[in-house]
Amino acid sequence: MRLGIVGCGAVGARAARQVLASDAVEQLVVCDTRHDKAVTLARSLGERATVVRDVRDAVVDGVVLACDSTAQFTLARDSVARGRFVVSTSDSLEEVRLLQTLDAAATDRGVAVVLGAGFAPGLTCVLANLGRQWFDEVDEIHIAKVGTGGPSCARTHHRAFRGQALDWRDGAWIQRRGGSGRELCWFPDPVGGRDCYRASLADTLLLVGAFPHVRRVSARVGATRRDRLTMQLPMLTPPHPDGGVGAVRVELRGRIGTATRVVVLGAIDRPGVAAGAVAAQASLWILDGRLARTGAVGLAEAVEAKPFLRELVTRGVKAAIFDGAPRVHALPQPSPR
Amino acid sequence: MKPVLTLIRRALAAVGIAGAIAAILRVRGSGGVPPQSGGWRELTSRDLS
Repeated sequence: MRLGIVGCGAVGARAARQVLASDAVEQLVVCDTRHDKAVTLARSLGERATVVRDVRDAVVDGVVLACDSTAQFTLARDSVARGRFVVSTSDSLEEVRLLQTLDAAATDRGVAVVLGAGFAPGLTCVLANLGRQWFDEVDEIHIAKVGTGGPSCARTHHRAFRGQALDWRDGAWIQRRGGSGRELCWFPDPVGGRDCYRASLADTLLLVGAFPHVRRVSARVGATRRDRLTMQLPMLTPPHPDGGVGAVRVELRGRIGTATRVVVLGAIDRPGVAAGAVAAQASLWILDGRLARTGAVGLAEAVEAKPFLRELVTRGVKAAIFDGAPRVHALPQPSPR
Repeated sequence: MKPVLTLIRRALAAVGIAGAIAAILRVRGSGGVPPQSGGWRELTSRDLS
C-alpha cells in the first residue's frame, strides 16, 4: 500500500516514522509547503519515502493530513473524489465542521475520512469511547486538554480562545464565548491542576455524533494568565517548535441502573508525538480494514476503543484512569447490557 | 447619638452571631475528609484486554 503524508511538522514527521515501522506501507509519499522540509524528512526516513510537490499528483491509497488546519478541507475533498481515504489531524472547529460535510460523498465512494485523529480530538474520542463501557447510559462528557504540538497547533490553540465555543446541552448547541467558564481540571501527573477555559474546540462536535443520547458535552483547554491576557491579540512571540508535555482529561458522568457514576480518564504525552501516533495508527487500521464504518467520522465512532488504545500504549502513549481511593482499585467492571 | 449607638449595637450583634455560626460549623460541620490516597493509575495492556 502507498500512503501520502501532507505536512512534515511535529505531527506529520512523527506519523511518518510510526507508519514506516509497519510493513503494511510499502511506499510513503511526503510533501510540505516548505519543500526543503519534506526533502529532509524523506532522507531521514530511508528508501521507502519519496517527496512530491503536491500529494494530488502522487499515486497513493490514502493521505494523512498533518498540514495547517485551514488547508485540510480542500485536500480531503479532492482525495475523497479520487477514492482515497483521509486521516485528518485538524483540531479546528471550523475545519472539522467543513470536513463533516464530506460524509455523504465518502460514504457513497466507500472511503473513510477520519476526523480529528490527533491528541484532542482523537485520543480524547478514544478515551470517551473506552469509558462508555462502564455505563448503561452516558449523560455527560467533559473534555479538557493542556499543551500544544508544533507551531501550527500553537496558532490554532491561540485562535481557539478568540472563537465561539460550542457546548451541547439537552439536545441543542449553545455558543459560549471563548476564554470563559474557568474550571480547575486535574490532569495526570506531572501536569497536575490547570485552569481550563472554553474555546473553539472540535471535540464536542465529534462526541455528540458518537453519543446520540448524551445530554451535555463540553470542552476546555488549559491556559495561563498570559494566554488569557493576550488571547484577543495576535501571537506576540513565535510559537515553540514543540510545546512540551501535554495532557488530556475525559470525564464521563452517567447511570448504571438508577445509580450515577463518574469515570475520569486521561493521558499524558507530548501532544505532537501522541497526535502522530494516533494518526499513524488510524491509517494502519484503515489499511487493515479494521475501521467500523466508512464516511466522515471521528475516532469515537470509527474504531473499537480497547484494541486501538492497547496498540497506542505499545507506541508509548500513556493513558490513565483516576481512581479516588485507594490506588490499588481494579478497573470498574463493564455493566451487563 | 441614639441612632449611632443602635447601629453599632446591631453591627456588633451581627458580627457576634456570624462568629457563633462560623464557630459551630467549624467545630461540628462535617465536610468529610478529602481522599488521602489514590489518584491517577496508568492503564496497562491487561486493563485493556
